[in-house]
Amino acid sequence: MWRKTLTAERRGELLAHLKGCEKCDHAFRVFALTAPVLHGEIERYPAREARPARREFSLADRPRRFASAPREVSRASRWIPMAAAAAIFVFATSAAYLSARVPNESIGDALSVPETSMTSENTGDPLAPEMPLTESDLAS
Amino acid sequence: MLGLSARSRAGSRLSVKPDEELITEVLGGDTDAFTELAARHRPRVERLCRRFFSDEEMARDIAQESFIRAYTALATYRAEMPFGGWLRAIVVNLCYDELRRRRRRPEELVGDFSAPEVQWMQTTNVASPEDLVGEAEERREAYDLAHRLLDTLKPEDRMVMVLKESEDLSVSEIAETLGWSEAKVKIRAFRARQALRKQAERMLAAGAAGKRS
Repeated sequence: MWRKTLTAERRGELLAHLKGCEKCDHAFRVFALTAPVLHGEIERYPAREARPARREFSLADRPRRFASAPREVSRASRWIPMAAAAAIFVFATSAAYLSARVPNESIGDALSVPETSMTSENTGDPLAPEMPLTESDLAS
Repeated sequence: MLGLSARSRAGSRLSVKPDEELITEVLGGDTDAFTELAARHRPRVERLCRRFFSDEEMARDIAQESFIRAYTALATYRAEMPFGGWLRAIVVNLCYDELRRRRRRPEELVGDFSAPEVQWMQTTNVASPEDLVGEAEERREAYDLAHRLLDTLKPEDRMVMVLKESEDLSVSEIAETLGWSEAKVKIRAFRARQALRKQAERMLAAGAAGKRS
């Protein structure tokens, strides 16, 4: 009804209903408060100031309030995919190298010392038997 | 630089070439083709901006900025979607940013009405529905008051209301335009209607009381 697209018959029906239904009449009045902006032909309302509307597009005619905004597509947005691609490449390469390398020892193996190399001297075990004296010791 | 030199050409091919063809020309270096494109879409863009801002200068500036951004980002446009929809997304996002920037508290907005606005509130209470439709088109205060009412909404709610009610977009189209989920659009639409009804009831009550709230 607000946009005047209803047929005369449908419009008449609606108006008759609004007359007889208090609830719908109230709802219509609530609707009417925002309808000029949401549903109205907004061009009908005259502009307050006399400034003429722009008719031609020009890059030079940039509104002052947006003067500080970037004029071109930001360089950052172009670098983001490139940086992401580089990161994915580094990650994939590292993953491929690590998976291809034969794991020859576990972390536990790397941390433990082989038994063959363990002696009472280097382990410092106080309960280990003393080493026999050498001839030079006896001589002195 | 684009500009007045295209005026005569713009007039002769304004209604002939489809948007996609003009875009191809712009990307091929014929920057004047964008003047035609802008002229073709400017009324619709300015109309959309005026549904967000009662300040005409603001609406025009946002429309102009939208065209500048569309021009600079034209290489990213994909023909899968209509140019009008792509441009609308730029306009809507600019309007959204501006709404968030200028966000004020609702209580600052609903109050201190002008005499014509109070008169319009009273008219809304007593005039017949048919007269209301006719009078609203003639009275600037009806337009201003509607804007004040919509200004009480949160920016997200207002976006949804305008796109749904004025642009007649579906939930999925709004979700795509704003980059939201459909569930979020539905929730926002529901909340917006509730909030708007509440504020409108307050205005009607103020009108009925015949006093300035």
